[in-house]
Amino acid sequence: MSSDPARADQAACTEAVLDVTPEAAVVSNLGVASYVLAGVEDRERNFYCWGSMGLTTPVGLGLALAIDDPVTVLDGDGSTLMSLGALATVADRDPSNLTVVVFDNGVYATTGGQRSHAETTDFAAVAEGVGLSAAHVSDDGAFVEAYRVAVEGEGATLIACDVAPVDPEARPPLDASHVKRRFRSAIVDPTR
Amino acid sequence: MDWTRGVLSSLGANDVDLVASLPDAALDPLLSALESDPGIETVTATREESAVGILSGAWLGGRRGALVCQSSGLATTVNALSSLNKPARIPFLGIVSRRGDLGEFNLAQVPFGYAASSVLDEIGIRNRTVSDAGEIGTAVDLAAKTAFSTEEPYVLLLDATVTGAKDEF
Ligand SMILES: Cc1ncc(C[n+]2csc(CCOP(=O)(O)OP(=O)(O)O)c2C)c(N)n1
Repeated sequence: MSSDPARADQAACTEAVLDVTPEAAVVSNLGVASYVLAGVEDRERNFYCWGSMGLTTPVGLGLALAIDDPVTVLDGDGSTLMSLGALATVADRDPSNLTVVVFDNGVYATTGGQRSHAETTDFAAVAEGVGLSAAHVSDDGAFVEAYRVAVEGEGATLIACDVAPVDPEARPPLDASHVKRRFRSAIVDPTR
Repeated sequence: MDWTRGVLSSLGANDVDLVASLPDAALDPLLSALESDPGIETVTATREESAVGILSGAWLGGRRGALVCQSSGLATTVNALSSLNKPARIPFLGIVSRRGDLGEFNLAQVPFGYAASSVLDEIGIRNRTVSDAGEIGTAVDLAAKTAFSTEEPYVLLLDATVTGAKDEF
């Protein structure tokens, strides 16, 4: 559980994503976001990145252009900062089935907690500045509410969610090829 | 014959219906033709590496995509290719104008453009340089077939002899 009352709990928010949209295809950022997701539930419809920092949201965008089910990206502040420009492309396509959650823990947690520029970056304002609907939340209740609105609403949405840094035990399967096969088979009609 | 027509028909024949790209002068005729093709959705990315992410996600969802960009843009995709497409075996077709060789005037294009094929070889991404415009349709067809059946990217590097060199001097 998060010890900082001013920040949401990443595991609780990840659990809320799976509760609200059990059918969602979820793309998770390398490191902590994937570790948390695997700890909450290692489901077929999870695509964990083990690398490709900065590509979590672009992968989610491509997926949202291919399927009708909800697609939810669980990104990190560092990865989002690495390719802020990708948000402009998300805004340009604006698929209604896409929700991008930026778990902003203020640091590069996976590599040891070095500070990112998150402290001086307003991710919701950046998103709005490129034409993407956005919300900014910092507790579990507000996250669930914003997530429901994002999933039901028109167009894509970015939710910047302030979370306390965590160091989870769980790990997703390491075999990237197995993960993609499992994921794709759960999503795509086998005749394609 | 206009070299872009062979590309378009081979993309269609292989169900490639998504193109992610960034502009390039030499590829402009192809990009315009793709944009006006009703069977193809084109996405303009802000960085070629993101384009690779988009195409990868689309394939995970059952679509087939092509990256259209110049070799300088391919240079930004090395980490994506190495840490996503190669380990997870996620395919796309690359159609890349290769700068840095015949007719090149711009030194900024030379180091990666000239080395593009070797760099791809080093990280295990199959590729082929197309120098003859008459071969392009067949090359796109066969590259798409092998990319999507082996589930690995395949990159075609289009020489200036196909696309026409930029004549600045
Ligand atoms: C291109 C690239 N640069 C750097 C790294 C090293 N790295 C791995 S995870 C990570 C931190 C990611 O930070 P963030 O997206 O904020 O997620 P968090 O770890 O905080 O959950 C970094 C810098 C990498 N794997 N790839």
